[in-house]
Amino acid sequence: MSEKHAANRREDLRLITGRGRYSSDNNLPGQLHASFLRCDCAHAEIVAIDTAPALKRPGVVAVFTGEDAIAAGYKNFPNLMTFTNKAGAGILQPERPVLAHGRVRFVGETVAMVVAESAAIAQDAVADIRVEYRDLPTVVDAEDALKPAAPLLHTSVPGNLTLEWDTGDAAAVAQAFKQAAHVTKLKVVSPRVVPSPMEPRAALISYEAASGCYDVYTNSQGIGMLRWQISALTGVPEDKLRLHLHDVGGSFGQRSAVYPEHGALMIASKKLGRPIKWVATRSECFLSDSHGRGIVMGGELALDRDGKFLAARYDFVVDMGAYLTTTGPASHVRNPAICTTGVYKIPALYANFRVALTNTAPIAAYRGAGRPDIAYVIERLVDQAACELKIDRAELRRRNFIPLDAFPYKTPTLGTYEASDFNGCLTKALKAADWDGFPQRREAARKRGKLRGIGLSTVIEGTAAGFQPKDQIAIEFDADGRLEVFTVALSQGQGHETTFAQIVADTLGIAAESVTLRQSVHGKNIVGNHTGGSRSLVGAGSVCKIAAQKLIEQARPLAAEALELEPSQVDYANGAYRSRDGAKSIDLLELAKQHAGASPHPLNLIAEASVAATFPNGCHIAEVEIDPETGVSEIAAYTACDDCGTVINHAIVEGQMHGGVAMGAGQVFGEQTVYDKSSGQLLSGSFSDYAMPRAGWVRDIHMNDHPLISKVNVLGAKGVGESGCTASLSTLVTAALDAVRPLGIEHLDMPLTASRMWQMIQQAQQPQQAKAK
Amino acid sequence: MTKIELTVNGTRHAREVEDRTLLVDLLRDHLGLTGTHVGCDTSQCGCCTVHLDGRAVKSCTMLAAQADGASIVTIEGMAKGDKLHPVQQAFTDCHALQCGFCTPGMIMATAALLKDNPNPTDEEIYHGLEGNLCRCTGYINIVKAVKQAAQTMK
Ligand code: FES
Ligand code: FES
Repeated sequence: MSEKHAANRREDLRLITGRGRYSSDNNLPGQLHASFLRCDCAHAEIVAIDTAPALKRPGVVAVFTGEDAIAAGYKNFPNLMTFTNKAGAGILQPERPVLAHGRVRFVGETVAMVVAESAAIAQDAVADIRVEYRDLPTVVDAEDALKPAAPLLHTSVPGNLTLEWDTGDAAAVAQAFKQAAHVTKLKVVSPRVVPSPMEPRAALISYEAASGCYDVYTNSQGIGMLRWQISALTGVPEDKLRLHLHDVGGSFGQRSAVYPEHGALMIASKKLGRPIKWVATRSECFLSDSHGRGIVMGGELALDRDGKFLAARYDFVVDMGAYLTTTGPASHVRNPAICTTGVYKIPALYANFRVALTNTAPIAAYRGAGRPDIAYVIERLVDQAACELKIDRAELRRRNFIPLDAFPYKTPTLGTYEASDFNGCLTKALKAADWDGFPQRREAARKRGKLRGIGLSTVIEGTAAGFQPKDQIAIEFDADGRLEVFTVALSQGQGHETTFAQIVADTLGIAAESVTLRQSVHGKNIVGNHTGGSRSLVGAGSVCKIAAQKLIEQARPLAAEALELEPSQVDYANGAYRSRDGAKSIDLLELAKQHAGASPHPLNLIAEASVAATFPNGCHIAEVEIDPETGVSEIAAYTACDDCGTVINHAIVEGQMHGGVAMGAGQVFGEQTVYDKSSGQLLSGSFSDYAMPRAGWVRDIHMNDHPLISKVNVLGAKGVGESGCTASLSTLVTAALDAVRPLGIEHLDMPLTASRMWQMIQQAQQPQQAKAK
Repeated sequence: MTKIELTVNGTRHAREVEDRTLLVDLLRDHLGLTGTHVGCDTSQCGCCTVHLDGRAVKSCTMLAAQADGASIVTIEGMAKGDKLHPVQQAFTDCHALQCGFCTPGMIMATAALLKDNPNPTDEEIYHGLEGNLCRCTGYINIVKAVKQAAQTMK
């Protein structure tokens, strides 16, 4: 790592001194506080709501219910899903009043909202509301929900099936399977997780009658995406929505969608003429934040006699919870569909997706958003095929990698991959992880009474697709002539203030400190993608470079004028324009200062680009040790070799990888979202029941890189935000499976909790022990 | 209502609070010290960690009234002027924060940990930070920062 790009981020100083400004830190004079009554049953008709007792409590100002939501018409949430079924019909989008009306469909759904002089009074008053429910049968499992006799959630969605979509060539696949020498089949689950960024959801919304505008202070992944969604939900034009977005305490896809609470607070603020603030408790977050993953995946792989892949077929059942979120269906169908072939040449492919509704919290994007899931099923299939055919896992992969000379590679489904060197990555990773030395480590572990296994994955993911056709960046000079860069993208921990400023500064050849990044600022007339899908560096970051280059050209005539030369006679380098003979020069920033105060500043500009999707990839190798006495798993070693294209800031890339792998480890070993099958109650509704990764779960990651520079963007970057998640699920699970295979265990499903592992090991050992006797 | 007097970051404050007011609410809502965060309602995340008479406490877990007479230090009181506390410095040096929401609590917990154990092993650090959750960093750099801070504080 170069000194210049050392760790200390621009945003750090305020965050380590307590001067960050997160959503719940916002307050406005005269504000009231909201608290939501959330239903405690999973599926029921609302027979009656009695709000009178709540209204009697001193300090309560108003109570809102589904009637108010219906009166406002706030019930149609937007959706990014554009795919249609075979008959050409689009996804069935059920209505969702921002406060439930007539029926509730998952535990935690908003039923009523109390507004009071203090948060404590509002919370107390919520308990005063009396609701009479008539229970309905419940279904919490997506496969069950698609069965003919399943309880129906919405009359507008027959069979609870919002969309069935397929891709690939079913006939070619069937043919290939007929001719196959070997077929490997499996069914795996990517269990539902609760994203749980550490900052709970919060919003403060204030209506201004004179202008008809709403000021919205909330946590989000970016201004344009949220503003569009709020407008789509409420019908309030986007130019009447003033979003104020500041520091965000993590998102991971959970803040990609608009929430009913946004709409409800708008109703209240308009009616009462005062700002309304709401901060979720963590319990509310567990119940009503968008959840992630929740996919059951069937996979089949056909191989010829030499272990060459002939065809693959996937059957996805995607759980969307009780309602569709803006990003859920696109994340869980579009994203996996792009990479159904993984890193392998698989001539025939077919994938079918059924998108189901259940009586559970709605699901949206979650770090990787469908990419880790498809990578997981492919890698599990390849591993299992290797095991069944007794071919070395690395060797089977090598035989089937898309070769270097085949790029750009058009997959049989949706993707066109950029050049990647899968074999190079694998070779480097095997060496770095001392793959060949593993038998000794396994033996050493055995002597310590531990089961040790090694796992390997070679994965690719389509990133940076975005939902906006282009990304724009504005460069402006403030009244003092200081350089400000405006983005639509909004960091939630990714460190944009550092990285993007660095890109602009490096392009201009000036000190990073002279560039200030402003993200998701209201009133800036620029479009672009929010921060998600490993998009921001590739998209907005690239445009930062383009904007800086544009600035150099835009300022050239002014520089020439100042130097009393023709524009063609001045050269730009290291932050200054110089005459050819070097006799005269002027700094860009000095030039900008000379024009400070002009309105608009003559150097202000907007740059833009349409940046195509790209394909980070890599090979991860993990060793997992399991204590057969307790079932506790430990990550004994983790090696990564990634191709994320050009690295702008090594410390940040490493941090993203650490976080991504730890999230993968969370899903693999601990996180378990449990809904009771019969009652639909959420049984894992707090950090005491839901095992978040803790310090020590991932002790170190031995990072290597093997970059092929991206050709589709000017930075050459491929995006890294999700790579850790995408690679780690299969790597860790196959390592654990490798550890217990000698006991005769042939299948594992996440999460590999200690109790589950202990039980499986016990059961597997019993016949062995019996034999030994 | 209860009358309390306490010192926060060296300044004495007298306030009248509702009996049920939590210490964290006093700090955030009454004193405007929003650097202390709330990340849960079951005392598990550690985002709200402050020092009370030199010990790390989760300020969501005690009533403001219980802090009557106490001396409290919050994240806002860690730096001395422009000079960062060594733990703060180590967190930025080691890229031990991403979104920064857990960070004030992590820094307060780390400072207390190092006071009790100036030279912790990795295991002791894992154990010492058990009560603090971070969703962003995977903790690897946080552990590094704890070790760097231990070194500089020697
Ligand atoms: S807010 Fe205090 S422990 Fe979570
Ligand atoms: S830095 Fe985001 S939760 Fe720790």
